[in-house]
Amino acid sequence: MQTSPTPVVAVRELVKHYGAVRAVDGVDFTVTAGEIYALLGLNGAGKTTTIRMLLSMISPTSGSVSLFGEPVTPTARHLWSKVGYLVETPAAYPELTVRQNIAVMARLKRMPAHTVDTTVERLGLTPYADRRSRELSLGNQQRLGLAKALLGQPALLILDEPANGLDPAGVTEIRQLLKDLAAAGAAILLSSHILAEVAKLATRIGIIHHGKMITEIAASDLALHARRRLEIGSRDQRAAARILAEAGYPPQPAGQLLALTADDAVTSPDRIATVLVAAGCPPTHLAIREDDLETVFLRLTRQETHP
Amino acid sequence: MSAALHIEWIKLVRSRLWWITVLAITVGAAAGGLFMFISLHPLKARDLGLLGAKAQLATLEPTWPSYYGLLAQTVAIGGFLIFGMVVLWMFGREFADHTAKDLLALPTSRTTIVIAKFAIAAAWCLVLTIFLFTLGTALGTVLGIPGFGLRVCASGAGRVVATAALTMALVTVLGLAASIGRGYLAAVGVLFAVLFTAQIVAALGYGPWFAFSVPAMHAGITGDQDRPTAFGYATVALVAGICVSATARWWQRADHAN
Repeated sequence: MQTSPTPVVAVRELVKHYGAVRAVDGVDFTVTAGEIYALLGLNGAGKTTTIRMLLSMISPTSGSVSLFGEPVTPTARHLWSKVGYLVETPAAYPELTVRQNIAVMARLKRMPAHTVDTTVERLGLTPYADRRSRELSLGNQQRLGLAKALLGQPALLILDEPANGLDPAGVTEIRQLLKDLAAAGAAILLSSHILAEVAKLATRIGIIHHGKMITEIAASDLALHARRRLEIGSRDQRAAARILAEAGYPPQPAGQLLALTADDAVTSPDRIATVLVAAGCPPTHLAIREDDLETVFLRLTRQETHP
Repeated sequence: MSAALHIEWIKLVRSRLWWITVLAITVGAAAGGLFMFISLHPLKARDLGLLGAKAQLATLEPTWPSYYGLLAQTVAIGGFLIFGMVVLWMFGREFADHTAKDLLALPTSRTTIVIAKFAIAAAWCLVLTIFLFTLGTALGTVLGIPGFGLRVCASGAGRVVATAALTMALVTVLGLAASIGRGYLAAVGVLFAVLFTAQIVAALGYGPWFAFSVPAMHAGITGDQDRPTAFGYATVALVAGICVSATARWWQRADHAN
């Protein structure tokens, strides 16, 4: 599979309004071949609406979506032979077996029959292949949904919350599978509200909130957005706060502790310890803490809400 | 198209719908046979009590044309329910099972899928009609209805199949209702609304011009002299054309947000 200079997905100023509700409000992003792009946002942020517009299930109020350089329209069905997707919860015909469900999709996607067995095996569904889909566990229903999406190794995979319902081993397995597909040149667009999972899988992350793209960051830069702070404890916190403020390090309360976020305090905790010891209020606790991914995400989304 | 037809057929035959509809149409044939038994043997029927008395009131002639007319009426009234159930299931189940979204972005067009659904529904309704006619004919033979022959059989088959075709054309409205309503409920509502409206319009004397009264009138429910008008038949074709194209257009153009 060759990489192409044309983005596989190009979304420009995408808008969807339902009356006064701005479900998606001017979203832009691109996804190139070999990339795993994650749309990250809280529930109701506009991720699924964006994905549905990408798949021509919903008409945009304005803006455009192109796949493989061609505009997406309800009649551009030739595009869909190169696209696999899983939108929201996986669905299957309950009276059909796993194999039959995949075979149905293979026929509609005009894939050769042998792709069914390959896909069943690839997704670890062989033991359940002849079981009716209504008898599957949530995790295996998710695998079945992913199997239908992965049929024929599509050049573009669009997956809404791909790790839903999977056990930890399943999450790891699917993560590796998606990484292998991307390494083989497929473009992968996924949505999630689980930052930790996205951080392990995506190469680029678009944070979407209230229908707007707040920021796009490379997954490798995610750590740079995590703030560090120096946490301080002492026997007299009030005195410690006064001493630090007088020394030019006004602290913020952090539960039972005090916190300093100034760069020179975080990089030189020994200097802070010296200040407190010299003033007769030695620290009993001194530690550098870093935001976890969830805190980074919540801070970024809060900044958008309350700039 | 062949892939979509194959898929719809597989979904139908693997479901419970096929035997439920076969059972329902068997009840229809059995009811026709029962009425014919009452007509053939009024004295024995009297022993049946109230049912026998009511059957006598229907003044059903113990002849093959009369019997086939009864089967045609079964197709027109009961068929609307049974054929309607087939169509509303084929469309409504995609929303009830949340599988509709998997049919929207495929190399097989949405219009092809909609047409395949209607085509397989029509094919299954035809199978049910043939089954009803065959079973009805067998029952009639066992009951000993006099005057059976190839001509009367062919005439009866034409009447039953034509009534079924008219009914099939009209149940397309339920495919549209199940799509717009995204499930079974709206279509069930439309099913009953149509049945009631057809009765009322026919009672008011406008049946020959009203599409949904046409199949029953064609079957002879109001007597052989009182047949639908050409306009009535045209409205049936119009309803089918509008409903099939509107359903295809809805699948193509509507916002599929859930």
